Amino acid sequence: MKFVIQRDELMNSVQHVMKAVSSRTTIPILTGIKVEAGEEGIKLTGSDSDISIESFIPKEEDGIVYVEQIEQGSVVLQAKYFPDIVRKLPEKTVEIEADNHLKVTIRSGGSEFHLNGQDAQEYPQLPQLHTEDSFELPTDLLKNLIKQTVFAVSTVETRPILTGVNMKVEEGHLNFIATDSHRLASRRIPLEEANSQVKFSSVVIPGKSLIELNKILEGSEDSIQISVTENQVLFRTKHLYFLSRLLDGNYPETSRLIPEQSKTVVHSATKELLQSIDRASLLAKESKNNVVRLMTKENNQVEISSNSPEVGNVTEEVAAQSIDGEELKISFSAKYMMDALKAVDNEQVRIEFTGAMRPFIIRPIDDDQILQLILPVRTY
Amino acid sequence: MKTWSDIASIQPLAARMLTNSLAKQRVSHAYLFQGNRGTGKKAISMVLAKSIFCRHKNGQEPCHQCKDCQRIESGNHPDVHWIIPDGQSIKKEQILHLQKEFTYTGLESNQKVYIIEDAEKMTANASNRLLKFLEEPSKQTTAMLLTSNSQAILQTIRSRCQIMALKPLNPANLQKQLQEEGLSSSNARLISALTNNVTEALEIGHDDWFANARKIVVQLTEVLQSKPEEAMLFIHNQWMPHFKERQQMQRGLDLLLLWFKDIVYSFVDNEDAVIFINEKDKLSQASLHWSKQETTDALQRILEAKRKLEQNVHPALAMEQLTLHLKR
Repeated sequence: MKFVIQRDELMNSVQHVMKAVSSRTTIPILTGIKVEAGEEGIKLTGSDSDISIESFIPKEEDGIVYVEQIEQGSVVLQAKYFPDIVRKLPEKTVEIEADNHLKVTIRSGGSEFHLNGQDAQEYPQLPQLHTEDSFELPTDLLKNLIKQTVFAVSTVETRPILTGVNMKVEEGHLNFIATDSHRLASRRIPLEEANSQVKFSSVVIPGKSLIELNKILEGSEDSIQISVTENQVLFRTKHLYFLSRLLDGNYPETSRLIPEQSKTVVHSATKELLQSIDRASLLAKESKNNVVRLMTKENNQVEISSNSPEVGNVTEEVAAQSIDGEELKISFSAKYMMDALKAVDNEQVRIEFTGAMRPFIIRPIDDDQILQLILPVRTY
Repeated sequence: MKTWSDIASIQPLAARMLTNSLAKQRVSHAYLFQGNRGTGKKAISMVLAKSIFCRHKNGQEPCHQCKDCQRIESGNHPDVHWIIPDGQSIKKEQILHLQKEFTYTGLESNQKVYIIEDAEKMTANASNRLLKFLEEPSKQTTAMLLTSNSQAILQTIRSRCQIMALKPLNPANLQKQLQEEGLSSSNARLISALTNNVTEALEIGHDDWFANARKIVVQLTEVLQSKPEEAMLFIHNQWMPHFKERQQMQRGLDLLLLWFKDIVYSFVDNEDAVIFINEKDKLSQASLHWSKQETTDALQRILEAKRKLEQNVHPALAMEQLTLHLKR
């Protein structure tokens, strides 16, 4: 294997794939980065077996030549040393050459490194693309989808399946659902016609992978291709492939949890409500789930209060747009409520209650795509 | 020992059972391989893992050539997980990691294998955690527990595994093999009593440390017989400096154990079983000095000292206590 490459391009790619490489891995080969030279360009791969990131550097793009003198081949390089070496090389171009004994030579200007490589055959084989099972989304929409759901995944491993986000295609709609069994966040978007014949029905993507993906993706209008294979999901932008393993098991059926009727409906401005709950939570104790209380009053007033006997109490009245239905006193976790209100992404929210002991729903006004559900806390 | 046919020559029964269950596609979800060192636990688990993953099998024999086989061999296969003791024991975190690993889908296939070496070294916490998903295996998961002492494993774990008892090796075979490699017959006999592994045996045989160790053990027994009051001194001046590591100390005690066993053999006139064949004079002297009762007591004391060493008792203290008991 041999090629000459622009250092900046290489550095950029190395930094991307390094995000997947972990030093604490049980599989020795995964401490390395796989470098693969093909006819079209150079491909780098990093993985910690949960997520894998592939970055592709094309031979040339828009008339600019990035890689020259390619001789095909592949090798695995120590991730501990390779990135630092590339960063500190003196010249703009780097020549990388591997011989048959997996000895890798890195040349740039006057400096020359010899690294011991490992056999690329030993590296895990990532699944091939099945393009028929894929669909496209704008990148910023995907980022939004992740942001609005991933916070609700469970952080405890007692029910591992709940540490993931359920991605589901139903009746031409794409659903993202996350729940930790105390709250639920979901977002639903219509799929375009061209994408409607997607085959998979439901997969569970680990929350950690999605958080990592969200960090890597830059918000832009460019589209991102999502493909689902038997045990992995692939997110593909122009030169970056992000693969994640899926969680094994059946995601619980959540549609039945969502109440269809409501007894009390509150319309309110998101920001004011959020801020007042934030203030009330100052006195709510963390050990008791940050419980705050919401009470409907006359003249469309909502009272938010919190009380912890040793510290003190706080009461605040917020004016709502309208309150319909029965009177209500309900307690809930301030943290969950704030997360949900932040995810609603609209200036006005509609909160539908069905009694003090039943879960309630938060939605942006006149929009059914986002749904946040929270279970109240029982207080006496 | 790499292929099923190799294994069949040493462990015919286990090899037959496993190949048959592979052929009938009725591989159990959990196996417990128990057998002494060198009986081929690791080799069997390796070949079984290969047979499960290899796509170019010839009958039940994996090809040993393809990517899957080679990566299992080098420990790089992403869907085969090896758990080896981290220091003295297998810790809870290691099992926790495994548990997390198994909530995910496989990286390359849907098939997953985990192999736990020295399974008796699992801490109580780790065993209980393992039990949890040994009980409810997800589909297409195969567990292999390797141990030399199945009694030290939780009863509840044992009952959930298919137990494969491996046949102990015949030390005579090894002895013959070692002699062919150029070791003296007395050395070959002694070393084949200590280990079952040919390469390890050869290493020991060519090690000066071991030759000295053997000398010191014999000296100790002489000191115990002739000048018991100097035994403590001997321990501190000769024994402790030579057996520095815990592992070395265990080896020294093994030798001492064999010596006292030899005394028992000479009592019961089982001369063929004697291991220190070069020291017959000293043995017969020793059998005059120690009574039968004293010898069996000594054996028990040595085993106790070995156990204490494993439980982190200070080596010098364990050794002092042992000599105090022996010189009485």
